[in-house]
Amino acid sequence: MSAFPARDKVAIAGYSQSPIVRRSQTSLGSMTIATVREAIADAGLELSDVDGFITTPLFPSLGTHAAEDGTAFVTTHWLSRRLGLTPRYQQDPQGQLPGAVAMAVNAIHAGAAETIVVYRALHNPGGSYHQNSTPQAAGREQWGMAMGHFGPIAAIAMAWNEYAQRYGASPDALAPIAIEARKNGARNAWSHWKGKPLDPEAYLAAPFINDPIRMYDCDIPVDGVAAFVLTSAERARDLPHRPVQVTAYSEMLPLRLRAPSHWPYDDMMELGEIMVERLCRAGGVSLEEIDYPQVYDGFAPLSLFWMELLGIAPRGEAHRMIADGGIDSDREEAVPVLASGGSLGNGRMHGTPQMIECYLQLARRAGEQQRDVSLALACQGVPQMGGAVLYSA
Amino acid sequence: MTDEPTSRPLPVPDAVSAPFWQAAACHELTMAQCGNCSTFSYPPDPVCLACGSFEPGWQFVPVSGKGRILSWTVVRQALIPGVADLLPYVTVDVELDEQPGLRMVARLLDGMDVPLALDDRVEACFEDLAPGVAVPAFRLADE
Ligand SMILES: [Zn+2]
Repeated sequence: MSAFPARDKVAIAGYSQSPIVRRSQTSLGSMTIATVREAIADAGLELSDVDGFITTPLFPSLGTHAAEDGTAFVTTHWLSRRLGLTPRYQQDPQGQLPGAVAMAVNAIHAGAAETIVVYRALHNPGGSYHQNSTPQAAGREQWGMAMGHFGPIAAIAMAWNEYAQRYGASPDALAPIAIEARKNGARNAWSHWKGKPLDPEAYLAAPFINDPIRMYDCDIPVDGVAAFVLTSAERARDLPHRPVQVTAYSEMLPLRLRAPSHWPYDDMMELGEIMVERLCRAGGVSLEEIDYPQVYDGFAPLSLFWMELLGIAPRGEAHRMIADGGIDSDREEAVPVLASGGSLGNGRMHGTPQMIECYLQLARRAGEQQRDVSLALACQGVPQMGGAVLYSA
Repeated sequence: MTDEPTSRPLPVPDAVSAPFWQAAACHELTMAQCGNCSTFSYPPDPVCLACGSFEPGWQFVPVSGKGRILSWTVVRQALIPGVADLLPYVTVDVELDEQPGLRMVARLLDGMDVPLALDDRVEACFEDLAPGVAVPAFRLADE
């Protein structure tokens, strides 16, 4: 099978990331309008140049919250109307950021739109994010909640403990991930954790949420918006910033049939392997050629799982590499897989920090953090439910 | 096992799952078995993913309830009603003996002080949540 026909045909021309805050004083919709406008300006374009919007409007809470368009999530319909636009292409796919980027690439390559803003707006509803007050375990939850098992943290804790028991990872094995993410996030002006790195004592002093997952192994819910302007690579060459091309993408696969919140480690790796293989095939690259892999970290174990899927560490060995400083962005010989600070170091942004990191490095806009890289990968999500996008310049 | 009524979310039987919950009320664990290929499925689904039948005609067949622990976690937050007084509690990911990969997650009712390890043997038991409503759980087993 040959490489993806749209390989390197579509590029990121600009971006914007809002300040990430615990509780915004303005609505998420207002933040989105501001951030999208900034991204368009960053790309050297006008609002009238944009003829497409794509977002994944997922509000990933299982809690009992009033979830309204414009406050808890922001659809393209909401946004377009309030920007006074009637774009010819707008989509609100289910799923995650890589799916939105993929859709933009396909649409631009097919000519359905010329310039698309892909954005992600995430909201902290306040109170307990996943607290659910339902008196009934109906539908799928009769196979989960009814037995006292509920929510993504419990799901991740199960998968991580499965790994930890099988491969002998210590109870503190995740600490270097949270600490690395917070170190890098502390350096971002827009981070919720700006200026607030995490020391090992604070990590260990924080409570367990679902053993062996501690509080700082989980990203913190925030209000934040990121936006990216995508257009044809050809057109992007006439715009102010160095274009960063989308080389390939790979998306979620059909899930195994499981009870709710049951995401076994082996499912992640089985389906994740297929996803990564597809990515490499589409990009016409091997994993060794990817010189700037950025893994997802909404929950700390996911970083480690992604590292093993990408061959950064052998199966069952990533916890040792991490313990030995193997992902420390300040060490020359390390693989800085969380250089942006990700979600643990910035707030629950569902993969936008990794995408920004890939963009800034390849566009040579990373300032003091600039590295010499040519092929960068932004991963997102639980492997079998997320995806990955490969970028080059 | 508790005899006191709790306000935990009660399972809502549907057209497919009703026999499962009827058996559970009698403290009997059943699994949905495909009428076409005899493969067990948990949970049941409109389609049997083993043989592809989209009319699987699930039969809820009693199973041994015996299995092994593949993972566990400790729940420390009351994200759902009625569990605050139970905290902290252990949930286990169990592979039932009847079929490789037949996995279900439920509480382990042995308390917080027992050491756990991969492959520890368990057997099903039940928690009575309300009159006529019981949900499966597990206990450590000797063999
Ligand atoms: Zn079948």
